[in-house]
Order: sequence, then structure tokens, then C-alpha cells
Amino acid sequence: MYNLFRFFLRYHLFILFISLEFFCFYLTYRTKKYNQAAYNNFGLAMSGKVYQSYTGVTDYLYLRRRSDSLVNENAALRERLIESKFDNKVDSVQVSDSAGRYVQHFTYLTARVIYNSVDQASNLIYLNRGKLQGVSRQMGVFNANGIVGQVISVTDNYAAVMSVLSKDFKVSAKLKKSEYFGNMHWDGVNSTTATLEEIPKHVPVKPGDTIVTSGFSELFPRNIMIGTVKKVKTQADKNFLEITVNLSTDFGNLSYVYIVKNIRRNELQVLDSLSKKND
Amino acid sequence: MISQIPINLIRFFLLLLAQILIFSNLNFSSFINPYIFPLFILLLPFETPRWLLMLLGFFSGLALDMLLGSTGMHAAAGLLIGYLRPFLISIITPKGTEFEISPNVYAQGLTWFAVYLGVATLVYLGFYFVVEAATFYNFFFLLLKTILSVIMSVAFMLIFLYLFSSRKKRRFE
Repeated sequence: MYNLFRFFLRYHLFILFISLEFFCFYLTYRTKKYNQAAYNNFGLAMSGKVYQSYTGVTDYLYLRRRSDSLVNENAALRERLIESKFDNKVDSVQVSDSAGRYVQHFTYLTARVIYNSVDQASNLIYLNRGKLQGVSRQMGVFNANGIVGQVISVTDNYAAVMSVLSKDFKVSAKLKKSEYFGNMHWDGVNSTTATLEEIPKHVPVKPGDTIVTSGFSELFPRNIMIGTVKKVKTQADKNFLEITVNLSTDFGNLSYVYIVKNIRRNELQVLDSLSKKND
Repeated sequence: MISQIPINLIRFFLLLLAQILIFSNLNFSSFINPYIFPLFILLLPFETPRWLLMLLGFFSGLALDMLLGSTGMHAAAGLLIGYLRPFLISIITPKGTEFEISPNVYAQGLTWFAVYLGVATLVYLGFYFVVEAATFYNFFFLLLKTILSVIMSVAFMLIFLYLFSSRKKRRFE
């Protein structure tokens, strides 16, 4: 007993060091399992306030650029309106909504980016929308240029988004032309490129081809822009292409984003759990 | 010793704000992540007991973690340099040197400080980057990232020191 006591007395600093270090690793490990625990909500609530007020000040510096991009997006959206189209069919059968053919599947919330980083291994983005505004975990986030990420935790008024530029982020993507789909993830170094995998070797892919979301995950609707093919690599010992994608979203310059709210999500999750049960 | 508390508290908040609003927002490139926040632990008075260094390293790191969303990793790194600081100081300081109350760039000199900050930041950032994404990056990228980040961090730290250190050469209680 005396020896044990002496041992603790002699090494008390080292024991303190080791036990605190283990505690840190526990915290880190818990956080890494993004999909399990709603992590660090206190931190998000605190930093949300700090970054919100900081953004309030710096916003004035970028007003012109932001309003320009919003105007451009408005113009692009106006082009899609039925009023902007010339109807060149003489006798057409109108597809009407009255029969209930089209039901709302996705709705979108707008949010302001209040914190953003691109140079870490797991980059986070904070938004000024949270639980009270209807945001929940596992919602997709995109902007006018392309996809941005996925909500990983929410507090009352703020949301933390795992950016596409994160080592744990994966998204189901397809080639717009040929509809072949694969998994896309970030390669960790360059904030403008990512890697698309699992596209079979026989598929013709050229640099410049468009990559969009496949709509297979519950995060994003179909055909949201992701980027264009930059480089295609074939490896003799593999059956799949390795495609480098130029991301169309400029992650260094995010201001306003859309959060995807999938109305059918619960139903999809039920289906998912049912099919797992049958395995 | 008591008189050191307000100045260190102010330095803590100054460094924390500078870190999250400026240095973590620079987004130079994936190769360069400057961190000046370890300066808080490195500038604590020489007489600070080791357990306090460790606890301060831990809790200051935790505060930074909360703001940057990197739970636990800065706390682990801050704790590590809090633990190693007394070793480091005794290794790089010649025997019989008279100390000020706190490390001061005008008293200890640029060379001493460059070595002190260089080694401590190397330990801090090396440890941090390994914990952050050891398996994700390849080894040479990790090495290059650590070295470049250390160089930038130390440069910013020295600028901070020359801006905010008191010029008085000797200051005994």
C-alpha cells in the first residue's frame, strides 16, 4: 500500500498527463463517428454566436460580389421559367398538375455561411440556421454552383456542415451523359478537385464531361451540379476508372447556400431498415 | 505571481480571437495551416508549476477545439506541450542564466526564442496533424505540411511577440 502511494506521488504528473491525453482521444474518437453522436453542441452554439457577429462585420466588404452572384443566379432561374420559353408546339397536350401527378419531394431552405475553412483534413462550415428553422442532421447543402456538403449537427439556431472537402464525406455521383454512377470523395490536398470511383472501365469518359448528383442518396435531388471531369486514369489491375473531378463549387468563397429538406426521407429510412432486416 | 494573471488572461483572449478570426480563416492552402495559439502556453511565467501548465494547455486547447469544431485534438496537443515545456526550457537554456518572470523576446533574445518556438510548434503541429488525419494523408504530404505550417506559425508568432512584448530589459519583483 505504501509503495503504491509512493508510486502515485512520484509519477503523479505523468499519470495526470496520460489520463488527460486519453480523455482527449476519447473526445476525438467520439467526434470522428460523425453519423453517431450529435457532437459538441455546446461548442457549436458558442462559436455560432462568435462567427455570426464576425460575419455581420465582414459582410459589408463583399456586398458587391455577393449581390452580383445573386443577380446572376436569379437570371439563370428566370431562364427556366415557363414565361421565358417560346412555345413552338402548335397543338400540344399540356401536362397538368391537377391530377396530382407531381408531388413535392424536396424543399429548400436558404442559409448564410458564417464560418468556413478549406485547408484542414475535415473542413467544417457553419450556417446560421438550426433546429428552430427546420434543419436536421443528414440534410444536403448546395449553392448555385454545386454541392457543398452535409449537415452533421444542429443546435437551436446554427448548423455544422461537413464540407465536400472532408475525409469522411462521400456522395453518390453520376456522369450526366451516360448515367453511370459511382462514389465521389475528396483527395485531401487540393480544395478544387475530388476523386470519382467505381465507374466501370468500358464507359467512355472525356475531360470536360459533367458530373452531377445521382439522386440515390437521400441527401440531394438528382442532377445537382458537382463538377467536370479533369483527368481520367486507367489502371491495368483494376476494373474501374479513377476520375479526377474539378469541383464546380468555389469553396473559398461561399456566402449563401441551400439546405435540402427531403420530405420523403422517413419513408426511405423505413425502407432501408426493412431491407436490412430481410438480409 | 498574482500580477501575471490579468496579462495572461488578456493574452489568452487576444490569441484565441486572432486564431479563429484571422489565422484559421486565411485558407492559404492545404500545406500551410498557421497556428499562433500555442504561444499562450509558451509565454506563461517560468515559475508556473507543471500541473498548471498541463491543465492550462488542456483547457485552452479545449476552448479552441470548441470554436474550430475539432473536438479534443487541440486539447491533446496543448496538453502535450504543457507537459514538455519544462524539459524544453531546461535543455535550450545555458546553465546559470538569470530568468525574467515570463519568457520575453527582448530578454531571451531572438535565437533562443526561435529555437524555443520552433521546437514547441513542431511538437504541437506534428502531433496535431497526425491525430487529425494520419491515415488520410500520405507521409510526405504530412511532413511537408508540418514543416511549412511550423515555419509560418513561428514567423507569425515572432511578429506577435515584437508587437506586444514589453521592452523593459530587466524586471524583477
